[in-house]
This record gives sequence, structure tokens and C-alpha cells, in this order.
Amino acid sequence: MKDLVRQKLSINVDVMDMLNEQIAREAHSSSIYLAMASWCDHSALNNSAHFFYEQAKEEREHMMKIFKFINDNGGMAYSPEVSNITHEYNSLEEVFESALEQEIGITKSIHNIVLKCRKVNDLTTENFLQWFIKEQMEEEQTMRNALDLFELMGTEGIALKLIDERIPGISE
Amino acid sequence: MATVLFKSRFYSAYQSEKGRCFFVDIQQKRVKMSFCQLLAFRQKVITMDLDAHFNGDLNRHGIEILTLCNREHLFILDTLEVIDLKMFVQGIFTMSELHTMVTV
Repeated sequence: MKDLVRQKLSINVDVMDMLNEQIAREAHSSSIYLAMASWCDHSALNNSAHFFYEQAKEEREHMMKIFKFINDNGGMAYSPEVSNITHEYNSLEEVFESALEQEIGITKSIHNIVLKCRKVNDLTTENFLQWFIKEQMEEEQTMRNALDLFELMGTEGIALKLIDERIPGISE
Repeated sequence: MATVLFKSRFYSAYQSEKGRCFFVDIQQKRVKMSFCQLLAFRQKVITMDLDAHFNGDLNRHGIEILTLCNREHLFILDTLEVIDLKMFVQGIFTMSELHTMVTV
């Protein structure tokens, strides 16, 4: 009997499920960053707002990358539903802390998929996810750089304005 | 000619030797599926909320409506059939996975 499933699908079906879950996570992440951008915009933190608009765009690009990968390899990608987005934060520091938590969560789930790929010998997906591993390392570092600014400069008085001015440089 | 992929109490899945497609027997009806449709079928079955069948508020009548192949087919399933269907779908892909391992 010829293996029709293998002929049609070049990635493991359980890994495909995990990738679909990852699509939903990336979409959720994109929406969270959009909410953060909105909060920063309303708080007159223009550079931070711009930073989070860009982050939202990036997360959507990550989502699309996985979406295309699934479909290109014979699988079926599902358009995600997004819910539970908070728009309420106490401070810019809290915004960046939440952003770092968000990135750590994404990194963990990417690592989980890679571990599953190794278990089921899905080398195609493992190879595809290498780009995401490197990308997540950089994303986490960017958020940590922002949080370092709060440690260095505090949050009193003019410090917040000075931190906002330095946000465009945190990913360098 | 079709080869049996997996059988459960209520359902059977076959793979066509020539047509590069699958057949699934559900409630005395044979449904022809492309691989893409088989994946969509799998997704629908996986997302069926079995717990709701045991909660009078969420699924009072304990039935599930399953549409397949772009709504070409429609089935109404009871709780027992849904339980079996979930195992059935898992079985189809486990069998194909085992087949891959054997032929590697």
C-alpha cells in the first residue's frame, strides 16, 4: 500500500497541530502589542507606541510565516481567533515586563515544537523553526534592554520621557 | 480497489489504490475525501467538545452535527458515536504514522 498521507504531507500531523496552536499564539501576541501601542499612544509615549506598532507587525509576519509553511507542505493552516486582550497597564515598565513575559512564553512554545520534531523525526519542521529560535533570542534581548533602562534611570519625573526617547535604540 | 486504513465500532476508513483519495464509511454512507478534506474532517472531530455532552447546560441533547466536504454531507451523531469518532480519527493517522515508520 502506498503511503498517501506521506505523499501529501511532508510534516508530521501532530507537529502540524502544534504549529496551528503557534499561529494562534503569534496572532494573540500581535494583538497584545497592538493594545500596548494604543496604551503608549494615549500616554504620549510616542517612541514606545511606534516600537509596539512595529512589534505587532512583526508578530503577524511570524504568524504568516508559519501559516504559509503549513500550507506549502500539504497541511492545513487555520485562521486563529483572538480574545482576552487587556488594554490596561499601570506603567510603561509594566508594559515592557508583560512584553518580556510574552516573548518568553513564545520562546518556550517554539522550543516545545522543536523537541516534538526531534521525537517524531520531523526534520523539515525542525529546520524551519531554527529561524524562530534565533529570532526569539533577539526579541527577548530587546525587551530586556528596555527594562534595563528603567533600572538605570528610574521612573520619576523626566526619566520616563528620557526612556521613551531611548526606546528606538533598544533593538540595536 | 481500496485498502482498509482503520476500523472502529461505527466507522471505517479506506485508502484508494488508484484514485489517490480516501473513503470513510459513516452511518451507512461512503464519503470520498481528498487528503485535504481528510485533514479538515480530522480538525472538526478534534474540536468537538466531548465534555459538553456530559453537561446539561452546554449540550442538552447530547448530539453533534458534522458537515463534511464543503457541506456536501451532513451527519447527526450521538455521544457514543462522537466518542468512537474521536478514537477513529486518531486511529487513521496513527496507522499512517506507523506505516511511515515501517517503510523508512
